[in-house]
Amino acid sequence: MKLWPVPQDQKGWWSLLAEPQFEPQQSAEPKTEKRNWLSWLWAEYSVIIAFVIIFVLAAVLNPRFLDINNQLNILMQVSIIGIVSLGMTMVMLSGGIDLSVGSVLAMVGVMSVLALNATGSIMAALIAACAVGSAAGFINGVLISKGKIASFIATLGMMSAARSIALYTADGGSVSGEVNGFSAIANSELGVVDYPIIIFLAMTALVYVLMNYTRFGRYVYAVGSNEKAAVLSTIRVDRVKIAVYSMAGFLVSIAAIIETSRLNSISSSSSGQLYELDAIAAVIIGGTRMTGGRGKVIGTFFGVLILGILNNMMNLMNVSPHLQGFVKGLIIIVAVLFQKRD
Amino acid sequence: MAFISMETIDKSFHQVKVLHQVNLDLGEGEIHALLGENGAGKSTLMNILGGVLQPDSGTIYVNGAPVSMTTPGDSQKLGISFIHQELNVVSDLRVYENMFLGSEIRNKAGFLNVEAMKQKTRDVLSRLGVSLDPSAYVRDLGTSHKQFIEISKALLRDSSVIIMDEPTTALSEHEISRLFELMTTLKESGVSIIYISHKLKEIKAICDRYTVLRDGFIAGTGSLEEEDPESITKMMVGRSVSQERFTREHVPGDEVMRVEDFSKTGLFQGIDFTIREGEIAGFTGLAGDGRTELFEALFGFRKKDSGSLYVHGKKVVVNHPNHALRAGIGLVPRDRKENAVIQDLSIVHNLTLSSLGHFEKNGFITKKQERKAFQRYKNELNIKARDPYASIATLSGGNQQKVVIAKWLEVNADVIIFDNPTQGIDVGAKREIYQHIVSLAEQGKSIIILSSEAPEILKMCEHIYVMYKGEITARLNRDETAEDEIMACATGSKRMVESIG
Ligand SMILES: Nc1ncnc2c1ncn2[C@@H]1O[C@H](COP(=O)(O)OP(=O)(O)OP(=O)(O)O)[C@@H](O)[C@H]1O
Ligand SMILES: [Mg+2]
Repeated sequence: MKLWPVPQDQKGWWSLLAEPQFEPQQSAEPKTEKRNWLSWLWAEYSVIIAFVIIFVLAAVLNPRFLDINNQLNILMQVSIIGIVSLGMTMVMLSGGIDLSVGSVLAMVGVMSVLALNATGSIMAALIAACAVGSAAGFINGVLISKGKIASFIATLGMMSAARSIALYTADGGSVSGEVNGFSAIANSELGVVDYPIIIFLAMTALVYVLMNYTRFGRYVYAVGSNEKAAVLSTIRVDRVKIAVYSMAGFLVSIAAIIETSRLNSISSSSSGQLYELDAIAAVIIGGTRMTGGRGKVIGTFFGVLILGILNNMMNLMNVSPHLQGFVKGLIIIVAVLFQKRD
Repeated sequence: MAFISMETIDKSFHQVKVLHQVNLDLGEGEIHALLGENGAGKSTLMNILGGVLQPDSGTIYVNGAPVSMTTPGDSQKLGISFIHQELNVVSDLRVYENMFLGSEIRNKAGFLNVEAMKQKTRDVLSRLGVSLDPSAYVRDLGTSHKQFIEISKALLRDSSVIIMDEPTTALSEHEISRLFELMTTLKESGVSIIYISHKLKEIKAICDRYTVLRDGFIAGTGSLEEEDPESITKMMVGRSVSQERFTREHVPGDEVMRVEDFSKTGLFQGIDFTIREGEIAGFTGLAGDGRTELFEALFGFRKKDSGSLYVHGKKVVVNHPNHALRAGIGLVPRDRKENAVIQDLSIVHNLTLSSLGHFEKNGFITKKQERKAFQRYKNELNIKARDPYASIATLSGGNQQKVVIAKWLEVNADVIIFDNPTQGIDVGAKREIYQHIVSLAEQGKSIIILSSEAPEILKMCEHIYVMYKGEITARLNRDETAEDEIMACATGSKRMVESIG
C-alpha cells in the first residue's frame, strides 16, 4: 500500500518506501478525492505537514510547550527573523540571495538610535531607519541589476560594508536610546499579544498579498523562473530586481526597529549576526527553491515557526547551547530532504 | 519481426488517462511516423519508450524480450536515443561539452580528452552539413544550431533506435533536406527511427510507416504508400483541413510602422520597410539570414548600431521590449521554451503575464477575470488544458505554443510580429491560428510573420520580404511570385529589391 498517492513524475525520496511501479489504476473511487487533496497538500505545502508533526512532537515531549505564554513567547522570538525572512523570500523568489540582512540590521539600528538621540523625536528615528535600510537594499538592487554583479557577491560586499559602518559610527560598541517611549514600540501589548508579533503577522499578510495579488508579485516569480522570457514578456526586469532588494531592505529596517526598541539599544558588533543564515534557512525550509521562481510566502511563515519551535524546545529541554546548532542543522537538512523536488 | 514493440500501454497523469491501450511496432531499418493532434499523447508515449516516464500498464519488447526501463539510462543502454521536443542544451557550456555531457571522453589518466571530443563533434556536425566551431558557447548560437546539437548528440551514441520528437521545428528547408539525407543513410545501415512531426510533407518524404494517435487511442497504423496527406489529416483530426491560401479583399490602410536603415554589424544591414494598417507581411530566408535578430532589435531586446523606427509617423526610441509594447508593437518570440514559457508559472499566469493591466482592479489582480480570459482562449484556440492553475509544463508542446500565442493576442498590440508562430502546432490548429491572424488583420492590426517555410508565408502574407545574410534581397507580391523564386532569393542567387512599389 502506498501511503500517499504518488504522482509518478514527482517523487520525493519517500516514494522509495512505496511499492514499485506498475500499480494498477486505483479502483476505490470514493477514496481518490481525499487522496488527491492530501497529495496536493503534500506537494504544495509539505512544510505545513512538517510543522504539524514538529508541533505535536513538541507538545508531547514537554507539557509546558502548549502554555499560551510559551506560544506567545515563541512568536515574539521569531518576529524579528520572521520579518527579515519575508524579504529574503522575495529576493530568493527573484533568483537572488541577500547576505547583507544581518549587517544592514545592525547599521539601521545604530543610525536610528543616533537619529533618535540627536532629534529627540521617535518619528525621526523611524524615518531614518526605513531610509537607511531601504537605501542599502536599493544599492544592492542597482549593483545586481544595472551593474550585473551576482547577488551573492554584491550583498557580500554590502554585508561587510554595512557592518563596518555600524562599527565605525558606534565606535565598536553599543548605542542606547535616550528618549522615553522608543522602547515602548517592542515592549507594548495589545491585549496579551506583543506588538512585534502583530507587526510580524501584518507584514506577512502584506507580503502575501503583494506576491499573490499584484502585478509586481507575478513579475518576481517570472524573473526568478526565466529571466530572458520575462524580458521578452515586456517586464522591466531591472526595476523589478531593484524593487525586490529595496523592499527586502525596508523589511530589515522594520526588524531593526523592533530589535533596537526591545532593549532600547543595539550592539554594532553582535546585533544581527548570522541573521542571514537563519532567514535563508527559514525560506528553504518553507519550500522556496534556491534558484528562484518557485516558493511561497506562507511556506516561509511556517519555516520561521518551525525554527522558533526548535529553539524553544531545546531551551525547555535544557539542550546545551553548544549542541543547538547541530540539531538545527540536522532539522534543516531533514526538512529539505522531505520536500517535493523535481 | 518487429524490432521494438510497445503493447497495450496505459498512462494517466493525476487520474486523467492520456494513453489507452496503445500499441506501437517498429521494424529494423524503418522510419516510423508517429502522428496526432496536439495533446494526443505522442511525446508521452515516447517518454515511456525513452525511460523518462513509467507506464501504468503494458509491456515493451526489444527483440522480442520484455524489458523494463525505469530511467533514461536504461533506455540508452538498450540502444535507444531520444531527441526531445524541447531543446535541452546548456547555454553556458561549449558545443562539444554539450555533446558529451555525461559521457565525456577521458584519456588513460582520467583527464578529459578535449581534442578527441572536439574532433568527434566536428565529424558529426559535418555529416549534417553544419559548420560550427566546437568550442563556441551554445548561448551565442541560433535556435537551428541548438537543434542540430540535440540531433548530433543522439547520433554520437551508436544507437539502433532514434526517437525524433519534432526535430525540424527550428530548421529551414535546406537544413531539413540535409537531415533527411542523413536519416536515409542511417536507415540503410539498419537504424530505426521514430519520427514525430506536424509537417505532413516531411512525413510523406521520409517515412515508411505510420501510427496515428487520437486522444490517446490508436486511430490507425499502416504503410504510408497507401495514404495521402488528406486521409492522414482526417485520421488525426477527424475532418479534412483546407490547404488553401487565405485571400481577402485588402485595401492597404495608412502607414503604421516604418523602419529606416536598421543595421547591426554582422547581423543585419540597411533594413528599410513599411507596414500598413491591416497588412500581413512575411519575412523569410535561410538560417542565419538575420530576420530573428532584426526583429529582436526592433522590439528592443537586442542592441542595434543605427536605424530609426517610426510608429504612426512619430519617431520612437525602443531600448526595452516594454518601450515597444507602449509604442504598440508586440513580438511572439520563437523557441518557446527559452524565450516565452515561464515554466514555474501556471497556464493562466503565463497567459496574462504581458497584459496584467487588463485584469487589475484597484491595483489588485482579479483572478476571476483571469480565469475568464483562460476560458475564452481555451475555446478560441482549442487549447487542451483542464485546470488553469496547473503548471504550464503539464501541457503538450503544441498547447504550450497556443498559450504563448494567446498571451500576445490578449496584449492586443497594433503591430504583432510572429516569429515561427506555428512551432509544433498540428495541422488543424494551424489553420485556426492562421484564421485568427487573418481576422486580426481585418480588424486593422498589422501583422508580420517570420517563417522559414515558404508555403506558410505564401499562404498568409500579401507582401513577402526575403532576407539573405542580413539584407533584404527581395520584396515580392504574393500574387506575382512562387516558391522557387523565394528560394532563389533566399539563397542569394537572385536579387529583386524593387518589386514592391
Ligand atoms: N507531466 C504531465 N502532467 C499532466 N499532464 C500531462 C503531463 N505531460 C503531458 N500531459 C498531458 O498528456 C496529454 C498528452 O501530451 P503529449 O505531450 O504526449 O502530447 P503530444 O501528442 O506530444 O502533443 P504535441 O503535438 O502538442 O507535442 C496532454 O493532454 C497533456 O496535457
Ligand atoms: Mg509533444
